[in-house]
Amino acid sequence: MSSLKPAWQKRDTGLTVRMIFSFAILTVLYLVFLSVLSYLGIGYIPIILIASAMILAQWYFSDKIVLWSAKAKIVSREEEKDLHEMIERIVARNNLPKPKIAIVNTAMPNAFATGRGQKSSVVAVTRGLIDILDEEELEGVIAHELTHIKNRDALVLTLASLFSTVAWYLMQFGFYGGLYGGGYGYSGRDRNGGGAMLIILLVAMLTWIVSFLIIRAISRYREFAADRGSAQMTGRPVKLANALLKISGNMKRIPNKDLREVEGLNAFFIVPALSGSTIGNLFSTHPPVEKRVQKLMEMEASMS
Amino acid sequence: MNFFNRFRRSPLLKSASDTIFALSSAYITLETKLGLKSTGRSAISLKAVDGMYFLTMKEDIRNFLNASRTDFDLTYRILTDTYGYLWIIIEGKNMEDILAGMTAVGDIIYERGFADNLLATVFQFISGTLDATPGSQYLIYNYKRNNFYPFVPLGQKNRDTEQEMKILSAVDQELRFEKDMSNWYPLWDVPL
Repeated sequence: MSSLKPAWQKRDTGLTVRMIFSFAILTVLYLVFLSVLSYLGIGYIPIILIASAMILAQWYFSDKIVLWSAKAKIVSREEEKDLHEMIERIVARNNLPKPKIAIVNTAMPNAFATGRGQKSSVVAVTRGLIDILDEEELEGVIAHELTHIKNRDALVLTLASLFSTVAWYLMQFGFYGGLYGGGYGYSGRDRNGGGAMLIILLVAMLTWIVSFLIIRAISRYREFAADRGSAQMTGRPVKLANALLKISGNMKRIPNKDLREVEGLNAFFIVPALSGSTIGNLFSTHPPVEKRVQKLMEMEASMS
Repeated sequence: MNFFNRFRRSPLLKSASDTIFALSSAYITLETKLGLKSTGRSAISLKAVDGMYFLTMKEDIRNFLNASRTDFDLTYRILTDTYGYLWIIIEGKNMEDILAGMTAVGDIIYERGFADNLLATVFQFISGTLDATPGSQYLIYNYKRNNFYPFVPLGQKNRDTEQEMKILSAVDQELRFEKDMSNWYPLWDVPL
């Protein structure tokens, strides 16, 4: 799942929280289930097999889980003729398979794409997005999501997170192993086992942290790639830039109040707050809107 | 404005004319990239105050522009708007002449001690292509920030932000541009 959702998480808590919550519950369920299996005395190898089966199942049903957790409803051609025709135009021009189309009934402007492959993919947009964007801006956003599908970003990110998932499981096993190893380790052999467990634990933790950061870096890079893809598909990067500004609420930052009215307020002497902390950038999955808009405008300039 | 602030301002005005003169090449870029043509009209605006000094300065600007009419091929108008701002509007055929006239007027205002009253210098453009928005488009130079930003009014109180973004991306390499869009204050009903 890749969502077109930049700096406005503050406002769009609903959708994001619901999705994160669903996946968090799933993960907890796994762990509880695996712990129970482990408690029942089932060996490591069956547990690993069961865990991989569950990961595969999650992968296979990921689109349904995403749609369900976002409360997105697949709409037919009769229900949303304009939207279907718009997407048909874009996919026909760019020789792509047509995705299923879903609508989320919320006023928050947002869009996301999901699906395992090109054929089973879904593009979802919210009512709010359709309302605030004009036709060409909406095309830009949909082309962005179609590029995510074309680039198989969901697959890339799932594979990338597989490392972190495996490291996470190792960390869990290593943690318990380390506890027991330390508690009962009177013989020299067990003490060695505890030491090895500690090393595994450290390596697993390190792997997890590094992969966590790498996934976020990949994700941010993929967003730029999807912006570029959208620009190529529509030939109007300025439209996507506009859409991003509207979605993020940055459009409101362009003032409407006359310069002559604000001049007396000495508004220009206020030192602007430092923007964009690097730590924040490191952890976020989406690059800041300003950077994306800047890159899109560079593309626009090189096109004309 | 206190004594030290006055000192700090003086290099600012020197850099003001440097910043404004960058337009002598940037306006060509606007024409080639976006089909925007200069209308040859531009204006400098400053907060009008009562008193002899201000009136004398106004007369001096008038005298200067009258005297340089032969050198620069410029015509001018001076008026005061409803906000109480004085506008010195210059019209010419050659961008270099307009820029020279504008900065010379700025210098007079600065020499008479009214630098703090300076608000903005506005340059007017119009789209040369047929399918584009018909109205005027502006580059606004803000004295307090020493940089430019675009302003494209659309109807009464709306702005064509898309076109403004295009202007920004077309010339942001050549001109000192205002990066913070929350400072892109419009000037509605510019008396150009």
